[in-house]
Amino acid sequence: MLISYKWLKSYVPDLPSPEKLADIFNFHICEVEEVKNVGEDTIFDIKILPDRAHDLLSHRGVARDLAGILGLKYNDINYPKIEGEKTNLEIKIETENCRRYIGRIVQNVKVEQSPNWVKEHLASVGQRSINNLVDATNIVMFDRGNPTHIFDLEKVHGKIIIRQAHKGEKMMTLDNKEVELRDSDMVIADEKNILALAGIKGGKIAEVDENTKNIIIEVANFNPTSVRRTARAINIYTDAVKRFENDLSPLMADSSMNDMSALIKEMCPEAIFEEMIDQYREKQEQKKLSFSIEKISKILGMNLSISEVKKVLDNFDFEYKNNENNFEVVIPFARLDLNIEEDMAEEIGRAIGYDKINAELPKIKKVVRVDETFYKILWTRNKLLEDGYSEVMNYAFCDKGEVEVLASASDKKFLRTNLKNGIEESIKLNQLNLPLLGADEVKIFEVGTVFHKHGEVIHVCYGDKKNITEVTLDEFCRDIPMTELDALLEKLNSKDQELKIFESWSVYPFITRDIAVWVPEGTKPEKLVQVYKDFGTELLIKEPRLFDSFTKDKKTSFAYRLVFQAIDRTLTDDEINQIMSKITQKIVSLGWQVR
Amino acid sequence: MEEEKQKGKEHPLGIVINDAVKIFSDLGFEVATGPELEDEWHNFDALNVPADHPARDMQDTFWIKNKPGYVLRTHTSPVQIRFMENLVKSGGKPPFAIIAPGKVFRNEATDAGHEMQFYQLEGLMIGEDISVANLKGILFEFFKRFFGEEKVGIRLRPSFFPFVEPGFEVDLKKGDKWFELLGAGMVHPKVLENCGIDSKKYQGFAFGVGLDRLMMMKYKVPDIRLVYQGDLRLNQF
Repeated sequence: MLISYKWLKSYVPDLPSPEKLADIFNFHICEVEEVKNVGEDTIFDIKILPDRAHDLLSHRGVARDLAGILGLKYNDINYPKIEGEKTNLEIKIETENCRRYIGRIVQNVKVEQSPNWVKEHLASVGQRSINNLVDATNIVMFDRGNPTHIFDLEKVHGKIIIRQAHKGEKMMTLDNKEVELRDSDMVIADEKNILALAGIKGGKIAEVDENTKNIIIEVANFNPTSVRRTARAINIYTDAVKRFENDLSPLMADSSMNDMSALIKEMCPEAIFEEMIDQYREKQEQKKLSFSIEKISKILGMNLSISEVKKVLDNFDFEYKNNENNFEVVIPFARLDLNIEEDMAEEIGRAIGYDKINAELPKIKKVVRVDETFYKILWTRNKLLEDGYSEVMNYAFCDKGEVEVLASASDKKFLRTNLKNGIEESIKLNQLNLPLLGADEVKIFEVGTVFHKHGEVIHVCYGDKKNITEVTLDEFCRDIPMTELDALLEKLNSKDQELKIFESWSVYPFITRDIAVWVPEGTKPEKLVQVYKDFGTELLIKEPRLFDSFTKDKKTSFAYRLVFQAIDRTLTDDEINQIMSKITQKIVSLGWQVR
Repeated sequence: MEEEKQKGKEHPLGIVINDAVKIFSDLGFEVATGPELEDEWHNFDALNVPADHPARDMQDTFWIKNKPGYVLRTHTSPVQIRFMENLVKSGGKPPFAIIAPGKVFRNEATDAGHEMQFYQLEGLMIGEDISVANLKGILFEFFKRFFGEEKVGIRLRPSFFPFVEPGFEVDLKKGDKWFELLGAGMVHPKVLENCGIDSKKYQGFAFGVGLDRLMMMKYKVPDIRLVYQGDLRLNQF
């Protein structure tokens, strides 16, 4: 969510510099994805955590949290209340998915451009100004976190009814999308038409336009699950959905309606306000949470003092009482995330800073239990590696099988029923690259899960170009000794500890050349290898590989295979011929003989 | 000609799994395993991810056709649940410490940093007073040993996962750079209760780290997609 530094500062005047604020977000609230300087303002794109979407998808919420973390003063700016005249507005809630609905008729408004401060505030969080009324709803949403809506009163027939849709009912949204509804979808209707998809999107029928004179302001609170399900089903995801689906406190509605009224009054001084109609059927209860310092200290692994804890609670402006180490906190109504002691451990921990917790190794007894499956996998890998098989890990997905996944982004929608097909492919691929692998032949294995209608099984598959064997892990390990896991691990970790860095490989074809040379008996083959390396240039990419040798008449023949490849191009025969002829010249000059 | 029998080459991910298991065994953890095709209870519900909660958005899940309620596990956390359920069923109780290395699946587009399948290592330690300080201790010790000589550091940032409270993002410092590396937290009391463990008496931490990511960092492999090609040129180590 985009947060404006200037906007925040109107609530917390002593806020530190934007540079410092980025760290405060990252280490005490949530991750900053981007910081941008826009004119005289700085905009933070912060990734509000799902459990804080109740209160932090708003500038006031973020400002309040920052003030709490930093121990700064939060200026709770509130507009004076606008009393209203008698109203004929009738509101009827017919569905339990609507917890609260406040409506207010305002007569004699004038739809026009917003004043500059409104346009600037909206622009700072990436919103386009539409007109003063629509802008007012957006200002309140980005400020308080409560989505609101405005209907054109003249287009509304009779009372406002909040109800479930009838199956098959249709409506046209503000952005001209026709939606067919199910009975699980909640709508705002009048006695004739559907006016809006509750908490999601307004409808075309009662849309505010340039001729609108009289309006109904809606500030409501809906069941998060209901909003979420409908939004998903019809595939409309708005800023309003994002907030309602995360559950908002119905108690936000009062101040949000107050702000809406004040903003409209400021932009339309001639407006006449009627009294509010407030249907509040599911009241939010006052929540209290008890915790002890011992418990919080035990969770965090640090010794907290009463004064430290009090300071955090005071900074967050929590109402609380304590009896020594035992605290009882009155949870602010917007903080729907605070329910259990562990939540307070987080609240106190993140305020103090997790960097203040010293790392400490726990004292635990080592367990000797061995997981049979893991032991078997380890034993099998070890056995096959020792037998000369190299390990691959292939994809679990393929294009045929017995178990299919839904909505895959890939065309391989099935889970493999065997490892063999993958191993065959691997053998083919690596057979082509054999000279690059420094091996005599391709021998491959995989230990992995396959999926059948009746369930999953771990298989072992190993083979070469002639022969592939696949059995279950249990079968492969039928007679193995269940000795200690440690000993087995030790064996696998016996390699030298020098860390190697991955060497990338060329995507261009390689060329091999075999060369056999007669040398006097007793000559070390390394001498030949040195010649190949000296004259092979950087195109000689592998250690020359000895594939044949024999001795006859006091002369020994060594046959080596040389592999050439360039990282950036396809090699030509000419290039390699030149290298080979230099190698030959050198060999001749040493008195040896190329066969 | 006579030649010594040639040993096969290990897959680098295999090496990393063994290294991790070795280090954690030394630190007192035992290994646990579980199925790759999981039921909703173990993958979501028991982990305090309620039906229809936005937290399920965070993982794009492979659901199984014609088998409602079954998924390819999106993390190794269900192994925690299975381990604790079995422990309680067989009359056991904390303290315990487990790790669960295994393959997990996400339904997402692949690129150099993302794959539909990858390996994760889950860690879980429960006792009477296992704390955030212990989580920091264990993770620091693991990374120190895993990356060998190099100087490492870790730091915690606030995060959210429904199965922990408090929840953290853990960054690793390697050289002079910080990497966002894993999610962790103190196991949510509801998760313990779901498995029949008394959350008033016992507490502890859990974490989940991507092994492919660790492998790529350790050996400087640039692209995760190289891992599952069956190309032995990857087996260089």
